Parts: sequence; C-alpha cells; structure tokens
Amino acid sequence: MSGSIEVRGLSRTFHTTVRRPGFTGTLRSLVDPERVAKHAVQDITFDVAPGELLALLGPNGAGKSTTIKMLTGILTPTSGECRVAGVVPYQERERNARNIGAVFGQRTQLWWDLPVRESFAILRDIYEVPKAEHAARLEEFDDLLDLSSFWDTRVRHLSLGQRVRSDLAAALLHDPPVVFLDEPTIGMDVVVKEQVREFLRYQVEQRSRTVLLTTHDMTEVERLAERVVLINHGRLVLDGSLDDIRRKFGSTWQVRATLADAHTDVVPLPGIAVLRRDGPRVVFGPDGPDAPTVHQALKTVIERYEVTGVAIDEADLEDVMRAAYVHAEAV
Amino acid sequence: MSLKAVRIVWRISLLNIRSAMEYRTEFLLNIAAGAIWQVSVIVFATVLLARFTGMGGWDSSDVLLIPAIRMLAHGLFVLVLGRLHFIGRQIQEGMIDVYLVRPMPVYRQVQLAYFPTNAIGDLTVAAGLMAGALSRSHLDWTVGRISYLIAAVLGGMLLEAALFAVVACAALRFPAADYWSRWLEELLGTFGSYPLNVLPKAVGGLLTYGLPLAFVAYFPAAVLTGHGHTTGVPYWLAAASPLLGVLAYLATRLLWRWSLRHYAGVNG
Repeated sequence: MSGSIEVRGLSRTFHTTVRRPGFTGTLRSLVDPERVAKHAVQDITFDVAPGELLALLGPNGAGKSTTIKMLTGILTPTSGECRVAGVVPYQERERNARNIGAVFGQRTQLWWDLPVRESFAILRDIYEVPKAEHAARLEEFDDLLDLSSFWDTRVRHLSLGQRVRSDLAAALLHDPPVVFLDEPTIGMDVVVKEQVREFLRYQVEQRSRTVLLTTHDMTEVERLAERVVLINHGRLVLDGSLDDIRRKFGSTWQVRATLADAHTDVVPLPGIAVLRRDGPRVVFGPDGPDAPTVHQALKTVIERYEVTGVAIDEADLEDVMRAAYVHAEAV
Repeated sequence: MSLKAVRIVWRISLLNIRSAMEYRTEFLLNIAAGAIWQVSVIVFATVLLARFTGMGGWDSSDVLLIPAIRMLAHGLFVLVLGRLHFIGRQIQEGMIDVYLVRPMPVYRQVQLAYFPTNAIGDLTVAAGLMAGALSRSHLDWTVGRISYLIAAVLGGMLLEAALFAVVACAALRFPAADYWSRWLEELLGTFGSYPLNVLPKAVGGLLTYGLPLAFVAYFPAAVLTGHGHTTGVPYWLAAASPLLGVLAYLATRLLWRWSLRHYAGVNG
C-alpha cells in the first residue's frame, strides 16, 4: 500500500467569540456576541512521498496540530482536500485509521488503568492483527524501545518516557504505512529522546513508513528530517530541504582567518565579503543571496590565501529556524 | 455489530472490570455510592407503602412499579450506555481525538472507556425494588405483561440514553454543556418515580412533550396497571413508550454522528 500524503488547498476555519475587555465588555459579549472567523489553516498544499519523513514546523499556534488533525480524520476541513495512503480521512475515518498510526505527545491512547501489554492486546484485536504477527512486531519494538522492562506496569504508573515509548509501539503495532507524530518527544530526557529518534529512523529507513512529524526540537529535525514544511498563521511559508532553509535563513556564518602575511591584500571573493580586518586577522562573511555554504567559503579562503589559523562560526538550526520564523512573521 | 466486534467489546469490558476491581476500596466505595445515590427512591417506596394506600388514583403497589421500572432502566443505562454521562471529562482530556484515530465507532469507545462500578449499586437497589413491586402487585403476570415489562425497561434505558446523548452531542461542541447531564439526572430522579397526574397539568405536559421522561416509566406502568386511558395522552401513545425509546435512541445516534462530523476538538 502506498503511504503517500497529498494535501491540496487545505483550509480549516474555526468560529470563536471575541471577548471584549472589562466586566462591562464581558456582559456586552454575553448579550451581543461578536463572532469572528479564525483561519487556523489556510490553503496549504504539499505532498509527502512514501517512505519520507517530513517535519512540519512552525511556532505555537501556527496550525500544525490542526493540519495533523485533518490528516488523521479528527477534523473535517472547511475547504480543500487531502488523501492519506489514497484515503480521504474525514470521509472514511475508520478505513483511514487502519492505514495510520498517531502519537500525540501530550496524551496517551493506552488504557490508563491497564498494564501496557494489555493495551497492546486490545489494539491487536481492534486492528485485527494475527497473533503471530503481533508477537513478532512486539519483539522487534521491544529490542528498539526496551518495552519489556515496564510493559507489565499500569499506564498510570509509567514515567513520561516509558509512556511515550509505549504509545509509539501502540501506534505502529498494526503496521501502518503512514505515521503522524505530534511533538512525540516533548518533555523527555535526552537519553530517551535519542532512543525514540533511533526508533523513528529505523521505521523510515528499514520499514519505509511515511512519517509526518511536528516538533519544536531542532536537534530532532536535524537528525531525522531531510525536508521540512514551515507554516505560520496557518499558511505555508516554506517547503524545502534543510539545506534550502539554511541557504535562505542561515547565512550567518563567519570565517575567521589569520593570514601568514599581515600585509597581504584582501579582496572580496564571489559571494564572500570581508567583514572586518585587524592586521593579519580577517573576518569573512556571506555576501548576497548566492553566498556559498560555510564549508565552501572555508575552502575558498584557504585556497586563495596563505593562512596560519582559521575558525568558523555557524548558525545552528535553532538560529536558522528563529530567522525563518521572524521572516515568516514579517511576510 | 459483528461477532468479532462483540468479542472485542466483551474483552475490553472484562479488562475494565478487572482493572476496577484491583482498586479494592475505590471499587467498594463506588458500589456503595451507586446504592446510596438511590436512597431517595428507597425512602419514597418505604413511605408510600407504610403511610399511603395510593397516589393519584393509583394503588400503592401499582405506584411502586413506576420507580421499579425507572430504576431498573436507569441501572441498565448506567451499566451499558452510561459513559455519555460525564463525557465532558473525556472531551477535555482529548480522548475523543484518540478514539477518532482508531478503527472503531467513537460511541462504542466512549462506552468502553471504563467500567461503571456504581452501576452494581444502582442495579442491586433496582432489582430489590422490582422484586418488591412484583411481590406486592395484584396484577396477573401473563407472558404478554411480562414481555411488555421487559420491553418497557429496555425502552426506558434507551430513552434515558437518548436524553443523555443529546447533552453529550452538545458537549462535543461546548464541553461545559456536560453540566446539564447532572440536571437531567436530578430531574429523572426527582420526577421519574411518581404518577405524573399528581403534578400540575403544565408540569405534567412539560415532562411528557418537553422532556419526555413520562415515557421512561410512568406511561408503561400505567399501561401495565390498567391506567393507560387516564394519563392525558392517547392510549396508543402511552403503550408505544418502549418503541419510542428505541426510536429516540436511533435518532440520537444519527445526531451523534452529525455532531462528530462537526467536532472541532479541544485546544484548537
């Protein structure tokens, strides 16, 4: 089954009541409510290829969760359309549910008062997974997520990390081609985060699952995603690879070189500007939209000048995304 | 529901019961709470039998059939379909979102969310009351009458489920609407045990055509005890109470589906 996701002009509008300030305003709102339309998602179009991991990024309230809710069949779009593994989620909710796995980091899909393994067994029955297949997959997930150390514990007694690992396994036990993860590692310690990332990488690379991930953790994005879609105020701002984003918003590198000869003439190079010079110490930076990457710039500087020392400063993805968000706000 | 679905429902229910029993004190307290909640009905029945010979033209033993039917219908509702009550909590916790991404009807998942331990208390009181009502009854309990009594209890259960489903549908859109289910439960408990002809006509009319609680137990009991022609509604309508329960239940299932399609979720 093809695990592609197709999104075309997807929009979702909520209607809310404006709260007027002050007590009198509240009374007025009660008598004469002012309804406003809040466009949570507006005309979003993108695709996710089978076996691809896409990070859906954006600041809080950007529309990421609303998008995921439409793709999982929880919400019906106001307009536009989407298909997940060939199924329109809000028209065939149960059929779509069989094709997808979903993890919402903030809440569990496990039975709160039952041991984890019992929840897995119930899900096996609900999804009609053959017993042998279920056992084999559980063994595989145990190897990757170390589930057996706590799967006889009731869900209400699990730590956050154990709970999310259990939720991840629960979401994939029926072998769905498409997986939605809404901030799956929120609040986890670094060790468990890394374990979850390894698990996800395995699911994409070895099991060819299509994954749509939302997160605010840029390390996660860097480790897992090759492509990101950035949305803000419900609109798609950017759809591209991490390199595209770095090129567009992350050109804040500097190459600091110490020249062998302090009297060498230093001239700007293609796409590389001289930002400062103090005797033999020269600081190069990007110049214009066609500036090279920091690694290319380093190579050019070393080839062009005789240097005795060199250092680079590069904006990390966190900085890049901050720049992208600021840019998105300005647009 | 397919056989496979019944098996899953049964399996989840057993696990829910087991998990409820593992918290021993909580389990026993909930059973006691279910029984104590019905103390007003027990007091009503005791006073009725001890102090009055009848009410509103009904013999005491006939009147007793009204709370007996209502209580048994209510106990079964709590056991089988009662999780619609307090659905606001499931909505606020985002569980409806979780149910929507599973290949199982959401309504069924709501009912399977936990085991209603208090139903054991409710049903124990209800069974005692029904046994008392039947033992004091002067009626000839033919097969037809017994069948109608069973249909009345099931119809009452479905009608109560329909009433709570309307509130639950509103709660899907406005979770605070769930508070109305407490009012509804209070109303059913307060007025469900009396022959409604003792109330002012306007109130009786409201509880028949506005909030149709008269169809839960009063009309079926009237039909069973030979008071079916003095209820203020056509005999056929009173007699059709169990069927109306079924129809109301089916109508609210459609309303539930419609409400789910318009579900806007919590937290945006």
